[in-house]
Amino acid sequence: MDNIIEIQKLDFTIDTRKILHDINLSIRQGEFVGLIGPNGAGKTTLLKCINGINPAEGLVRIKGRHIKTYGDKELAREVALMHQNTSIGFPFSALDIVLMGRYPYLGRFKRESGEDHKIARSNMSYTNTQGLENSPITQMSGGERQRVLFAKTLTQETGIVLLDEPTASLDITYQEQIFKYSAELTSLGITVVAAIHDLKIAARYCTRLVLLDNGAIAADGKPEEVLTSENISRVYGVNALVYRNRITGLLDIYINRFSPHKKSGRAHVIGGGGSATAVLRALYEQGYTVTAGVFFHGDSDIGSAEVFGVKYLAEKPFCEISEELQSENVYNIKNSELTILCNMPFGFQNMGNLQAALNAKKLVIIEDEKPEVRDYTEGKALELYNRLKRTAAAVIPSARLHEVL
Amino acid sequence: MKKADFKIGIIPVMLMVLLVITIAGTAVGAVYVPFFDTFRIILKNLGLLKNAVFAEGQEPIIFLVRFPRVAVAALAGTALGASGAVMQGMFRNPMADPGILGISSGAGLGAVLAIKLGLAAVSMYYMPLFAFTGAFLAIMAIYLLSYQKGKVPVLTLILSGIAISTFLGAITNIILTISYDYQVKEFLFWSTGGLEGRRWEHFRLIVLPVFISVVLMCIFSRDLNVLLMGEEEAKSVGLNTGRLRTVLLILVSAATASAVCVTGSISFVGLIVPHIMRLLIGPDHKILLPASAIGGAIFLVGCDLISRVVAVPYELGVGIITALLGAPYFLYLLLKSKRAGGAVI
Repeated sequence: MDNIIEIQKLDFTIDTRKILHDINLSIRQGEFVGLIGPNGAGKTTLLKCINGINPAEGLVRIKGRHIKTYGDKELAREVALMHQNTSIGFPFSALDIVLMGRYPYLGRFKRESGEDHKIARSNMSYTNTQGLENSPITQMSGGERQRVLFAKTLTQETGIVLLDEPTASLDITYQEQIFKYSAELTSLGITVVAAIHDLKIAARYCTRLVLLDNGAIAADGKPEEVLTSENISRVYGVNALVYRNRITGLLDIYINRFSPHKKSGRAHVIGGGGSATAVLRALYEQGYTVTAGVFFHGDSDIGSAEVFGVKYLAEKPFCEISEELQSENVYNIKNSELTILCNMPFGFQNMGNLQAALNAKKLVIIEDEKPEVRDYTEGKALELYNRLKRTAAAVIPSARLHEVL
Repeated sequence: MKKADFKIGIIPVMLMVLLVITIAGTAVGAVYVPFFDTFRIILKNLGLLKNAVFAEGQEPIIFLVRFPRVAVAALAGTALGASGAVMQGMFRNPMADPGILGISSGAGLGAVLAIKLGLAAVSMYYMPLFAFTGAFLAIMAIYLLSYQKGKVPVLTLILSGIAISTFLGAITNIILTISYDYQVKEFLFWSTGGLEGRRWEHFRLIVLPVFISVVLMCIFSRDLNVLLMGEEEAKSVGLNTGRLRTVLLILVSAATASAVCVTGSISFVGLIVPHIMRLLIGPDHKILLPASAIGGAIFLVGCDLISRVVAVPYELGVGIITALLGAPYFLYLLLKSKRAGGAVI
C-alpha cells in the first residue's frame, strides 16, 4: 500500500458550478504536499474533499479504503484538517480547545483520561502554547490562536494532516514556525497536505507541489518542476520570473504585474559587481531589448541578466577583456539607442568597458558614489570616465533612472 | 486547576440556593408559616420526618397548595434554562431562547389541538405529546428558515421566530374561539395563567419528560462544545453535526413543550439564565448545562416569589416578572452585539 491518499476522477459541484473537475492525485506516506494556485482555484475545496466534509463525485481512498466506508469518528482518527479563519466566539480555554482534538477517540460516556491530557499538553508544548493553557481563546492574538489550533489538529493524532492556509494572517516568525513543524511531522512519517498562498514558502518546505488552476491540476511534481516562470505566468495571469536566489539559494519569484508595454528600443548596460541588477530590472519592466557586458564570470549581475533574459557577454574572472569580446561589446553598443554605464568599480581588467562606452549613441551614466572612490587604476580609468561624462546625455543617481527610460 | 474546581463547586452551591429559595417560596403566602416549619412539613410529607405535629391547616396549605406550585416552577425553570443553554450553543447565538423563538407557541398550539380533538380527556399524556410535536415542528421551521452556511444570523433568527410565533399564536386563538367553554377552561387550566393554582397533577405530568430530556442534554454536552467551534470544524473531528442537531432539537422540544403544558409560554428564562451562567463559569457545556438547569429553577421560583409579594393582595403572573427582567437584558445583548459589528456571537 504505497499511496496513503488516492484520488481518482474527483468532481465537485456546487449548484451547477464545477469547483473541481477530474482531479487525479496519489500521495505517498510522509510527503509534504503544497497545494498552490490562485484564489478560487479549489485548494480549500480539495482539502475538504479529502476529509469528507465535501461530498464529492469520484473516488477518494485513505489507506486504500474509500472514505465513504469510514465512520465519522473513524475518519477523524485518520485525517485531521486545520481550517482557515476559525472564529471561536466562546471563551474556551486553550486546553479545552486542544482537548477537542481527542473527540474522535472518546465514547459518549467516557471522560478525557490522563492520557488524553498528556497528549494535549505535549502538543501544546510542541507548539509553544503551554503557557496559554488556561487563557481564553477569545483573548489571544492571531498567532497564538493559530498555534493552539495547530496543537488541536496534532492532538487528533492522525497519519494525515491537512492544513488550509495555516499561516494566513500570521507574522513571518510564526509562518516559518508552522512550516518547520509540518516538515518535522513528515519526517515522522505523517503525511501533510497544505493549501498555501505563499509560493516561496511552499517551494522551500514542501517536497511536492500541486498547482491548481480553475479546479483542475495544472502541474504536479517537485517544487522546481512546478514553480516555473511559464506555469506561474499562465495560471496566475501575471508576468512571473522564477529563479534561484543567489543569496539564499532558495527559489524566488519576481512578478511584474503589468505586462511590459513594449518599448521596441535596444539598450546596452555596462556594469559589474552587482551594479547592473536594478538597471536590468528597470529596462526589463520597460520592455527594452537589452544587451549587457562585459561581465566577469561569478558576478551577481550575470544572475540578473539570466533572470531577465538579457543577452550578455562574460569574460573569465581576473582576466582582461579579450579582443574578441571587446569588439562584440562595441558592436552591441553601436547597435543600441541607449547605453547605460552603471555605478561600478573600475580596475585594469574592465577598462575595456569604459573604452567601449565611447561608441555609445546616447550614454547615460549612473553615479551614486564619486568615481574617485571606485577607481582602482591610479587615475587612468578616472580620466576616461571624465571624458565619458562630458559626452554623456545624462549623469544621474540610480533613483532617477526612470526619468531617462 | 483551581479554576476548574471553582466551576464544579458552583453546582452544590446552586443546589443549596435552590433548596433555600424553594422553602422560602413555599413559606411565603397569606397564611404565615415559619421558614423552618415549612421545611419540616415538606420533609414529613415526603416521608423523611416522622412524628412531627403542626398547627391545624398548615400541612395541606404547604404541601397540597404551595409546594406543588413551587415544584412546578422549579421543573419548568429547569426545562427552560437547559433548553436555552442548548439552543444558544446549537445556534452559536446567545439570543436564542425557547420563548422568543416561537417554540413555546408551537407547543401551545399542540396543546390546544389535543384538547379540541378531545384527546386530552382520553389520556393525560396526549397533551404533552401534541405539545411536543408542535414545538418540534415550530423549531424545525425556524431552523430551516434562518440557517445559512453553518451559522444562524441573529436577525434572521429573531425575525423568523417572531413570524412563526405570531402565526401559530393566531391559529391557537382561532381554535380557542371555535372551542366550547369547557375546552377553553381546560386549556386555561393547563397552559395559561402562569403558575397560579398548579397542583401535583401538573408536576406529575411533566416530571419525567423534563428529567429525562435534561439528563440527555447533559450527555451531549461534549458534542455541543465541539459544535461551538463551528460546523466544519466539528465535522473535522468526526462529529455528525446533522444527527446531533436533530437529537438536540427533539430534546429541546420535549423540555420546552413540557414546561409550556403546565405554565404556558414563559419568555426569557432560557435567555437570561444560560447567559449569566456562561459569564460566571465559562462556555463548557459539561458544567454550563447542569448549572443552567439549576439556575433556571432558581430563577423561576424566585420570579414566582416576587410575583406573589410585590403587589399584595394581587398576584402578578410570573411571566410578567420574567419579561420585566428579561426584556431589558435582551435589549442590552442586542445593543452589545450591534456594537461588536453585528457579529453573530
